[in-house]
Amino acid sequence: MKKLITIAAIAALALGTTLVARELMVKGSDTLLNLVQNLAEAFSAAQPDVTVSVTGGGSGVGINAIMSNETDIADASRSIKSKEISTARANGVNPTEYVIAIDGVCIIANASNPVEKLTIEQLGQIYQGKIANWNAVGGPNKKVSLYGRQPSSGTFVYVRDEAVKAEYAASMRQMNGNAQIVEGVKADEGGIGYVGVGYAREAGIKVLSLSKDGTNYYSPLDKASVDAGTYPLARPLFQYTNGKAKGDAKTFIEFELSAAGQKIVADQGFYPVTEGFQAKNEAKLQ
Amino acid sequence: MIPSNMKGQNRMKRTVIALLLAILAAGSVYAIDPGQSELEYNGWFRYMNQSTKLDITNPTASRSLIERNYWRASHQWTSQLFSKLTLDFLSSSSYADGASVRIKEAYMDMALPMVKDFVLTAGMQKHYFSEIYSWDYTHPDKSLADAQGVCASADYGVTVNGFLPKGLGELQLGAYNGEGYKVTGAKNSIAPELLANLRLTPFAGVQVGASVFSKAKEIAPYANNKKGRNSDNTKFELGDTANMDRFAFSPMAKVAIGPVSLTGEYIMFDYTRKFSYYSLTKDSSGNVVDSTLKENSKDYAQSGIDLLPVVSLMSRKLEVFGRFSTWERKEQSGDSMPVNLAKSLTRYGAGFNWYFLRRAGGAKPAAMFQFAWVREQPRTEGADPVDTFMAQFRFEWNHVLSAL
Repeated sequence: MKKLITIAAIAALALGTTLVARELMVKGSDTLLNLVQNLAEAFSAAQPDVTVSVTGGGSGVGINAIMSNETDIADASRSIKSKEISTARANGVNPTEYVIAIDGVCIIANASNPVEKLTIEQLGQIYQGKIANWNAVGGPNKKVSLYGRQPSSGTFVYVRDEAVKAEYAASMRQMNGNAQIVEGVKADEGGIGYVGVGYAREAGIKVLSLSKDGTNYYSPLDKASVDAGTYPLARPLFQYTNGKAKGDAKTFIEFELSAAGQKIVADQGFYPVTEGFQAKNEAKLQ
Repeated sequence: MIPSNMKGQNRMKRTVIALLLAILAAGSVYAIDPGQSELEYNGWFRYMNQSTKLDITNPTASRSLIERNYWRASHQWTSQLFSKLTLDFLSSSSYADGASVRIKEAYMDMALPMVKDFVLTAGMQKHYFSEIYSWDYTHPDKSLADAQGVCASADYGVTVNGFLPKGLGELQLGAYNGEGYKVTGAKNSIAPELLANLRLTPFAGVQVGASVFSKAKEIAPYANNKKGRNSDNTKFELGDTANMDRFAFSPMAKVAIGPVSLTGEYIMFDYTRKFSYYSLTKDSSGNVVDSTLKENSKDYAQSGIDLLPVVSLMSRKLEVFGRFSTWERKEQSGDSMPVNLAKSLTRYGAGFNWYFLRRAGGAKPAAMFQFAWVREQPRTEGADPVDTFMAQFRFEWNHVLSAL
């Protein structure tokens, strides 16, 4: 009898362990939030014993959490800073970077605006407030209205650092999300804004091509130019783990990078990972 | 065909433009964004019981105090300019109403052009020596350099500080007033304190580094108790006593593996104290008829180690720590440097931290309880150990205000 009870107890324990869902925590970037939530839903459908919990708060929150070993995966729309790597290492954490998608930040204008393209320098001067009328860049005699994100947004930081290269003009309207920027520019004939590529294919707005040198212009809607890095505002979207991803984190990242995962990336309006990043990812997943 | 002088001018123009763009694109090392402000509060309520040989029911000291009551305000003016003010509304029996206010930080940061992740800081700021500046009070007591008076935790100065590329570590170079944050006034900056600190994190789990500071002369922080005439009227001691040639060096190392970490440091601290006196010449009646100014000096050499092991348990809700430190003070006597046993000691103890809540990101506490026992054993023959128990609640929060 005692033997039977012992066997039954062990079997119950083993069964219970199998049935209890494991939780995988993903924390960080708001840019990645919807995308990773969609990936998580698809992943959990295939792996019902793993619950993926995805929260936002910003790239900084995610990176701080991985530095403190408080999350399994950190989402970030910017790369980890040197200071953060140093602090993480001092705490015994080895931040390891994966690129799971590519974002092409689109510069949008009102559909009625005849301007089709800008150089990065012109874009910078527009957002600094130095070019205040569209006629200075071949457009109509109309005042430029600036739309952008709020300071806590990684996209705000990215566009400032890569294009504006100075402080934004005080007149820029700070919007809380991509959709708000689109609505603002749609309703404003002088409007200009920046949004993720997933938000750019809408009636009422047009996407401007950009050039670094004033000779060759590239559109963010052209996947080839985003993949090649010739589009000036293409940026990778990152996830970080402590050391090489292991266990459920490894399985989830492998799913994100699989054909099924990358289809979800494309459906959400981002671009799939380029070959170069994929090769680096695979090396870290071995 | 473009004339060569115009080519040169164009090249110069492009170089200047590139330089200006690089300056403007110095980027941000800060946690908040331009136009944002951050408010922070640290409130530490402590009970402390001190007794001899664990006789806690007959303590030599038993008190409640607000150990720290920091109010911090910082603002990101632009992506290159940042400022911070920290006031400490502390309680202490030294003050008439049991409380006072100190400035702990008041500085402006400017991101350095063309040197990524480095800033120039001017004002009252952290003192980047040994574990002082990075001490996060995992153990509620002070760091060794702070506790032994090697230097203050903050001081007036100008520093260049920042992070090395690829997470390799951090570097600080500074010139401070060197008298500590409590001292200001007419006798400041007799000689600046020059400081350098380097921390390297070559790979996860290891941090090594060292810091050094040097100051030629201080103001006179010590009252010369012997000032005036001595009993046989052969000497008149002057009151002004200043420490000279103050020098401190501290290597450190930290190892962190999973939930366990061990931080260790060694500190050596030397200085010379100069004394001035008049040697008096008396006549047969005992009256002073002549005097000669003479100087004397005394060397001090101090050193110690500090070890702090910490174990994180229960998903970082509980930390258990130990601590072991030594301090030895040698004072010149003639040609030798005997140990001053009364001022040399060994300290050891243990404690724990319970984190009720951590702030967003999980690094810093929001609400926690700390308990620690520290035994201090002076090296004087027959001296009894002093036991200190500390129980402390810490409440800390920060709030970022976006641009209005």
